[in-house]
Amino acid sequence: MDIVYYIVLVPMVYVACVIFVVGTVVRLVKLFMTPKHSATLQIFPERRPRWLWALGDAFLLPATRRYKPFFWVVLMLFHLAFLLLIVGHIELIAEIKPFQVIPHEVFLGRGFVGLVLALAVLYFLFRRFVSPTKDLSVPEDYYLLILLFLSVLFGSQMDWARRWYGYDSLSAADYREYLSGLLYLRPHVSIDLTASGHSFMLLLHVFFANLFLLFLPFSQLMHSIFSLPMNKLRRG
Amino acid sequence: MDTKTRDELLKLFQSKLNQTMRLYLETCTRCGICTEACHAYASMGQVRYISAYRHEIVRRIYKRYFKGRGKLWPSVGEAKELSETALDELYEAAYSCTGCRRCMMYCPFGIDTQMLMSIAKLLLVGAHAEPEILTMLADTSIEKGKSLDIFKESFLAGIKRLEAEVVKKWRIEAGKKAIPIDVEGADLLYVALAGAHSIIPAAAVFNAAGEKWTLSFFEAVNFGAFVGDPTRTRLILDRIINEAKRLKVKEVCICECGTAFRTMKQMSGKQPFEVSAITEVHARYLRAGRIKVDKSRFKKKPITYHDPCQIARNAGVIDEPRYILRHLTDDFCEMSPDPRYNWCCGGGGGLVALGEDNLDFRMKSARVKVDQVKATGAEILTTACENCHTQLSNLNDHYKMGVDVQFLSSMVADALVQ
Amino acid sequence: MSADIKVDKIMDLKGMPCPMPVVKVSKGIKEVAIGQVIEAHTTDPGALADFPAWARTSGNEILKTDQTGDVIKFYIKRKV
Ligand code: SF4
Ligand code: SF4
Repeated sequence: MDIVYYIVLVPMVYVACVIFVVGTVVRLVKLFMTPKHSATLQIFPERRPRWLWALGDAFLLPATRRYKPFFWVVLMLFHLAFLLLIVGHIELIAEIKPFQVIPHEVFLGRGFVGLVLALAVLYFLFRRFVSPTKDLSVPEDYYLLILLFLSVLFGSQMDWARRWYGYDSLSAADYREYLSGLLYLRPHVSIDLTASGHSFMLLLHVFFANLFLLFLPFSQLMHSIFSLPMNKLRRG
Repeated sequence: MDTKTRDELLKLFQSKLNQTMRLYLETCTRCGICTEACHAYASMGQVRYISAYRHEIVRRIYKRYFKGRGKLWPSVGEAKELSETALDELYEAAYSCTGCRRCMMYCPFGIDTQMLMSIAKLLLVGAHAEPEILTMLADTSIEKGKSLDIFKESFLAGIKRLEAEVVKKWRIEAGKKAIPIDVEGADLLYVALAGAHSIIPAAAVFNAAGEKWTLSFFEAVNFGAFVGDPTRTRLILDRIINEAKRLKVKEVCICECGTAFRTMKQMSGKQPFEVSAITEVHARYLRAGRIKVDKSRFKKKPITYHDPCQIARNAGVIDEPRYILRHLTDDFCEMSPDPRYNWCCGGGGGLVALGEDNLDFRMKSARVKVDQVKATGAEILTTACENCHTQLSNLNDHYKMGVDVQFLSSMVADALVQ
Repeated sequence: MSADIKVDKIMDLKGMPCPMPVVKVSKGIKEVAIGQVIEAHTTDPGALADFPAWARTSGNEILKTDQTGDVIKFYIKRKV
């Protein structure tokens, strides 16, 4: 069993990260080396400054708010929660002063951020089982959401256990030791991490997150990066 | 489909893959936010008319042949072979889309369905499966450009007859030609359509404004763009560009034809002349006091204006028609609170040119447009595009809307104070 | 009808908006046999250039063009 823990928690994480970074960079470089479309693709009337409106479009999704207000709320919550969780993970690696402008315990949001994210993902998933979104979806859309859901679920479990059930044999410090070890290329999986009753959650969380990272650069999840330049095209 | 044909088609596909196209092909999350954006879906409720569904038909082929993933693990993205059936699907998707780009407004990433459908259209041209009528019309236009000398005389004779009509209705300054043609050094080259309705009223307004203008030998409409063939589009465009350069005009004014205007404006590249829509020119004359119109001409009739997609949302001529209409009436009713979201008439993208073949679809798919027009309570429905005008007139007959469909430019000409 | 040409089909395309006359004619010609002639009536001045150009690209032949008043008459022979 230990060897499984080790593989998932160390080499697989490295592989996933390398593929994620290299895959993303290669895809971006390839894309941005392809010649641009020669004519404008702007939608009118135009508003200036265009980049500001494009930013607004990319982050606030005004048309979605207008036509699908409920979906918009869920989308906003989802993306916000996702961002907060990324911040949370960075804080797990090392303490970062600027993030502590509002003093908080690591993992922001007392476990609710994860909950919101999990529910939002479930909503996205169930939407895809209902026509007409069902007719648009392809298998990867489901796989990605399921992967995301599983990794959020197990990740949040760890947070919830500490926050809500007073489970304290694994603390943020233990995770920090593990993650910073990975970052400084001195991987170390302490016995505390693998021996506790909740360590299978860590295992599953990391496992699914790895898969997610592996798939990300090759999927439509790149919309996170492409959204801005594409919105800029529309704004001219 | 044999390998050779497929390879050739894939080469055509490849030729379309610039950066923007790849972004459009690779980013859609199939979130379905665009579902209600398309008038065809909104009117008919069939999934295949959702814009993202149309994209997927192109995207699946893209994944299969241009992405590593589609080769390794095709099923995850439902990558698909390019086959005869695929061509049928491409036809169905592309020729039920008017390229209005309303869906582009809805999509969080602004994915341009018209662009993606241009791949479908090009593949169809490559496979000789496009509506042949459109290619035929495009080739006719190109032929006219090539052998102008042969057609010149008969065209001039036809214009002579129109001049008589202009003179009958409007005052012309002594010694002036009612419809000047081939005038080197004119300020403005007017590119009309083949019909008299596109030439006579325009001539009346140009003459009233004292414009130094000249009529183009060529018709504005670009069937190459409708059929999605970049080479033909370019050839058709070049006829006019060359004429404009030869006559050294400062401005090329495109008649009421959305596609013609947008292609000329956005695709002609840097040229020594400006490109404007006739609506812009008319607004300019009014602003400068070069023409005057009589408001009482359309009295007691509420008027609404349909924004042609290719002129308004896609090319930015939005305020000018409203400015003109303020001079023509006190009873103007807006059709859509925000012109960016105005419904397409359902006739663009070459659909109207297919005539009766797709009349049934055109009528059914534009039900939302009819509702929108009815809600304004207007009695005169005006627009500034030939395609829209034809489609709206068809809708008017089909749905017994009882409105009077008019060209904005003709209304200006009719109301001219002489 | 012109006396010296035997016409097999008459098409009334008067008042039709662009590009309908050409569209109709190119369809109509398929309905007569090769060698037969259609007579098309239009009021579009543009047709004076469009029809000959169309005939050249499609490989058909315009035998004669008549203008009487507003109406233009084309006599077109199906060749292909
Ligand atoms: S709104 Fe955009 S991203 Fe969403 S399904 Fe439609 S085209 Fe795709
Ligand atoms: S461009 Fe217009 S017709 Fe085509 S899918 Fe989008 S909304 Fe529908």
